[in-house]
Amino acid sequence: MMRERPASEGVGWVPVSIGMTAAIAVASIIVGFGWLPLQQRGEEFRGVWDAICSAAGLVQVSSGTEQVVQADYPTTRIELTPQMLRNPSAQSIGRGATLALRCTMCHGARGLSKADTPNLAGQYPIAIYKQLMDFKSGARASAVMGPLVSDLSDADMRDLAAYYAYLPREAQPASGAPPQIVTSGAPVRGIAPCGSCHGALEVKVGAAWLGGQPSDYLRAQLKAFSSGARRNDIGEQMRNVARAMTAEEIDAASRFYADRP
Amino acid sequence: MPSSRRLILAHLWFAFVGFGAALLLGEWQMYIRSPLHTWISDPEWYYRSVTAHGTTMAYVLPTLVAMGFGYFVTEVALKRPLIGLRWAWLGFALVALGTFVAIIPVALGRASVLYTFYPPLIGDPFYYIGVVLVVVGSWIWVALMGVNMYAWKRQNPGAPVPFAMFATVAGSFLWGWTAVGAALELLFQIIPVALGLRSTIDAGLARVFFSWTLHAIVYFWLMPTYIAYYTIVPRAIGGRLFSDAMGRLAFVLFLVVAMPIGIHHLFQDPQVGAGFKFLQSVFTAIVAVPTLLTVFTICASVEIAGRLRGGKGLLGWLATLPWDNPIMLGTAFSFVMLGFGGAGGLINMSYQLDSTIHNTQWVTGHFHLIFAGAIVIMYFVIAYDIWPHLTGRALDSVRLMRAQLWTWFVGMIVLTFPWHYVGMLGMPRRMAFYDYSDPAIAAQAAWVTMSVIGGAILVLSGALFLIVLVRGQMAARIEPGLYRFSVALREPRTVPAALNGFGLWLGLMVALTIVNYGFPIAHALATPGTGVPAVMVGVGR
Amino acid sequence: MTQTLSPPLPPSPEDRAERAEHRWAAVAVAVVTLLVVVAAVAGLRQEVMPQSRIETVNLGTLHLGGEFVESNLGSAIEPDGSVTVRAIGQQFSFTPSCILVPTDTPITFRVTSSDVVHGFLITGTDINLMLVPGYISKITAHFQTPGERYMPCHEFCGMGHEGMWGRIKVVDKDAFKQMAASTRRLSCAK
Repeated sequence: MMRERPASEGVGWVPVSIGMTAAIAVASIIVGFGWLPLQQRGEEFRGVWDAICSAAGLVQVSSGTEQVVQADYPTTRIELTPQMLRNPSAQSIGRGATLALRCTMCHGARGLSKADTPNLAGQYPIAIYKQLMDFKSGARASAVMGPLVSDLSDADMRDLAAYYAYLPREAQPASGAPPQIVTSGAPVRGIAPCGSCHGALEVKVGAAWLGGQPSDYLRAQLKAFSSGARRNDIGEQMRNVARAMTAEEIDAASRFYADRP
Repeated sequence: MPSSRRLILAHLWFAFVGFGAALLLGEWQMYIRSPLHTWISDPEWYYRSVTAHGTTMAYVLPTLVAMGFGYFVTEVALKRPLIGLRWAWLGFALVALGTFVAIIPVALGRASVLYTFYPPLIGDPFYYIGVVLVVVGSWIWVALMGVNMYAWKRQNPGAPVPFAMFATVAGSFLWGWTAVGAALELLFQIIPVALGLRSTIDAGLARVFFSWTLHAIVYFWLMPTYIAYYTIVPRAIGGRLFSDAMGRLAFVLFLVVAMPIGIHHLFQDPQVGAGFKFLQSVFTAIVAVPTLLTVFTICASVEIAGRLRGGKGLLGWLATLPWDNPIMLGTAFSFVMLGFGGAGGLINMSYQLDSTIHNTQWVTGHFHLIFAGAIVIMYFVIAYDIWPHLTGRALDSVRLMRAQLWTWFVGMIVLTFPWHYVGMLGMPRRMAFYDYSDPAIAAQAAWVTMSVIGGAILVLSGALFLIVLVRGQMAARIEPGLYRFSVALREPRTVPAALNGFGLWLGLMVALTIVNYGFPIAHALATPGTGVPAVMVGVGR
Repeated sequence: MTQTLSPPLPPSPEDRAERAEHRWAAVAVAVVTLLVVVAAVAGLRQEVMPQSRIETVNLGTLHLGGEFVESNLGSAIEPDGSVTVRAIGQQFSFTPSCILVPTDTPITFRVTSSDVVHGFLITGTDINLMLVPGYISKITAHFQTPGERYMPCHEFCGMGHEGMWGRIKVVDKDAFKQMAASTRRLSCAK
C-alpha cells in the first residue's frame, strides 16, 4: 500500500475498507448482542430474541411488581414539579388573602407570627401548598393544623400559597457568621449545606425558606425529622439530614436562621 | 508569510489569553478543594469556576488553535492565499462572540452547570447559545478547509494533496461531524427548556447525544498535535518523515473511528443497551491503532534525525538528537505524557476496569495528563514554530521556551500522577470540598496537596508561555523565509485515491454512526414518558 | 546451457521500511485485539458486565407508588436467599442513607434518581453506576468481608453535591438474617 502501484493492481481500497469495517461491526454485533448476553450468569432471558432485544436496549416495563412494602403511615401524596404555582393571578392572591383571615390568630396579620408558629410571609409557594396538602392528607401530623385545613380545596390551598408568597418578608439584621453546619454541612455524614436546597445557594422544589423562622419551631421540626415523627419529606431527604445532625448542630442552625431575614 | 496571518494571530491570541485566565481558575479550584484551604463558604463559586474553566479549555482554546493552525496550513501547504478570508473572519467573530455570550452568564453565577451540562440541570439559556455560536463559527472553518482543499485538487488533478493539508482537512471533517451530537442536544433539547418553551427533558437521550461529541472532541483537540508530530517535528529536528502514506492512513482511521465510540463514556449508564456498549467498546479499541501507528512513525522519523546527526547503535541515536531545540524537547515530553495518558485511556475504554475508576478523580487526572499535557504542550510547540511567520519578528527566547516546556511537563506530572492515584483510592469528582479529617479520606490529603503544587508550576509555565509570545510580538523584525513542512523519506508522486480524498472515509464514518448510534437514539426518541422535569440552576442570581 | 539466475536484489530501504511498518501495524492490531478479548472474557468470568436490560420508571410518581416508595427502599431478602437493595439518589442524599447488606450473598442493587443525574460509587469496589432520572440502574455484587464503606455521589448534581455521601455497611450473613426476621426492608439509616 505504500508503494506506487498502478491503480489497477491489487484489491482496491474501497472494498477492503468497507469489508473490514463491516466485518468488524458484524462480528462485534454477533458477540455483543448474541453471544455475550447468553453467557451471562444470573440473567434469565426468554430465548435468544429476548437476549438480543435486551442487549439492544429495548425498554422493558419495570418488572419490579413483586411485593411492594407499603408504608403503614400516610406519606405525602403530591407530585412536585418546579413549574408549579408560577405566576399566580391577582384574583388568586386576593382569594388567598380572604382565606388567610382565619390564619391570622397564630400566623399573624401579615403572615408574621409573634409566637412559635412559622412565619408565612414571603414563603415559597410550593412549600406552603405542599404542607397544606400534607396536613390535610395526614402525611404531616398536627393536632392544630389538621382540622383547620380539612375543608380547604386544592384551589384554596393554591390561593393561600400565592397570597403568602406575595407578602413581604420581615426585614431583620443578619447576625454573625453562619455556623459551619449551615454553610458547609457535614460531607461525610451526608449533610449538604442547608442553602443548597433552602435558597441561599439554590431552591429545591418544595423546600422552605428558613430565614426568620422561630428557632423553637425549627428545632422542633428538625427533631421531629430526626425521630421520624415528621415524615412528609419526599424520599426521606430531611430525615436523612436531621438524623445525622447532632443536637448542638440542630440548635446552632435553628438559632442562626431565626436571626436571619 | 501567509497573507491571512492577522486572522491566524487573532485566533491564537484569543485562545491563549483565554487559556491563561482559565489556567488561573483551574489552580484556584485545585487549591480551594485541597487540604490547604478551609471549606469554601459558598460552594457555588467553585462550580462556577469549574464551568468557566472547562468551557474555555474544552470549547474555546482547542477550537481556536485548530482553526488558526488550519488556516496556516492551508496557505503554507497549498502555497496560495486562503480562499474565503472574509468567511474566516466571520467564523472567528462568531467564536469570539459566542465565548462572551457564554461566559457572561457563567461569571454571574447563572449557569453553573459545568461544561458537560448534563440535564436536567439547566442554566441560563445564553450560556448554551454562546456555545452554539462557537460551534457554528468553527463549522465555517470546517467548510473553508474543505473548499480550499478541493479547489487545490481541481487545479492540481491527480497530484497528492500535501500531507499537512490532508491531515488538517481530516481533522476538520471529524469535528464537523462530531459537533453534531452536542448541537442536537443543545438545539433540540436544552435550549428550548432553558428558554422556557418546554419543561421536561429526556436526560438519558441528552447524555447519548453528548457522548456522540464527547469522545471524538478529544481527537479534534489532538489533531493539531498529531499534525505537528508528522509535519513539523521531523523538519524541525533535521530529519525526515518515515512514511507519508502511513501518516495519511492514521488520519483517515481517526476520521472513521474516532466518533462512533462515544458510548464508552456511558458504560455505567442505565439508558444504553449492553450490546451497544460492547460494540462501541470494540471500535474504541480500534481507535488505539492510529495512535500506535503514529508512535511508530514518529519515533522512526526522530530516529532518522538522530542517525543523520551521527547517532549509532540501538539507542545511541537518542543522545545525538537536538535536545536544545524546544521542538525536540516539547515533542519528547508530549510522547512521555501520551504514553502514560494513553495507557490510562486503555483502562478507561475497557468496561471492567472503567467500573473501578469511573467518575473518580482518576478520570480528571487522566484527561488533564493527555489533553492539558500531551496535546497542549504541542500547541505551545506549534505556536513557537510558526510565530515568526505570523509576526514577521524573531522568536528567540529559546531558554525561556525550554524553561516553559520543562515546567509544563514537570508541573503536569506532579499534577496528574497523584491525581490518578486518589482516583484509585475512590475520591469522587466535582466536589467543592472534602473532609480530609475523616480517616477514610485522610489518606488522600497528601496526594491532593501534591497536585496543587503541580498546578502552581503550571501557572508559572503558562505565564512563561505568554511572555515568550508577547516578546515575539515586540522583537526585531526579521524575514522568516519560506515555511516548510517536513519531507517524507520518499515523497510520493501519486497517492492512492483513498489516501488523497475523503469520500470513502466520510461514508464509513456516517455508516458507523448509524450502526452504532442510530438505534439507541431512535429508540430513546420513540419511547414515551422518558422526559423528566428540568431543574433550573442559578435562578435566584 | 546453464542459466545463472541473477541473485535477488537486496531489499531497498523503502522495502525494509515498508516491512517494518507492516510488522508494527500487525503488532498493534494484535495487541488491541488481545485487549478486547481479555476484557470480554474477564468480564464474563468475574460477572462484571453492563446491565442487561433497560428499565424506565415514572419520575413524578416515584414516591407515590411502585418499587421506589420510601417504605420499599432498603435491603430485601428474596425467596431464593439473594438480597435486593433498592435505593434512590436525590439532591442531596441517598435513601437509605446507610445501606445494609450481608456477606457471601448475591446482591442486586436497583437504584434510580428522583431528580437529576447522580453517581453511585461504593469506594474500594467496582460498584459504580450513573443514576439517570427516569431509568433504573442495576448491578449485582458479592461482598466477602464485613465492614463499612463510603458511598459518595460522583457526578455533579447541584450546589450540595459535595455533601452527598452515603454509607454501606456489610455485616455477617447470619447477623443480617437475624435482623431480617423483624423487618422486611433493612437499612442502617438510624
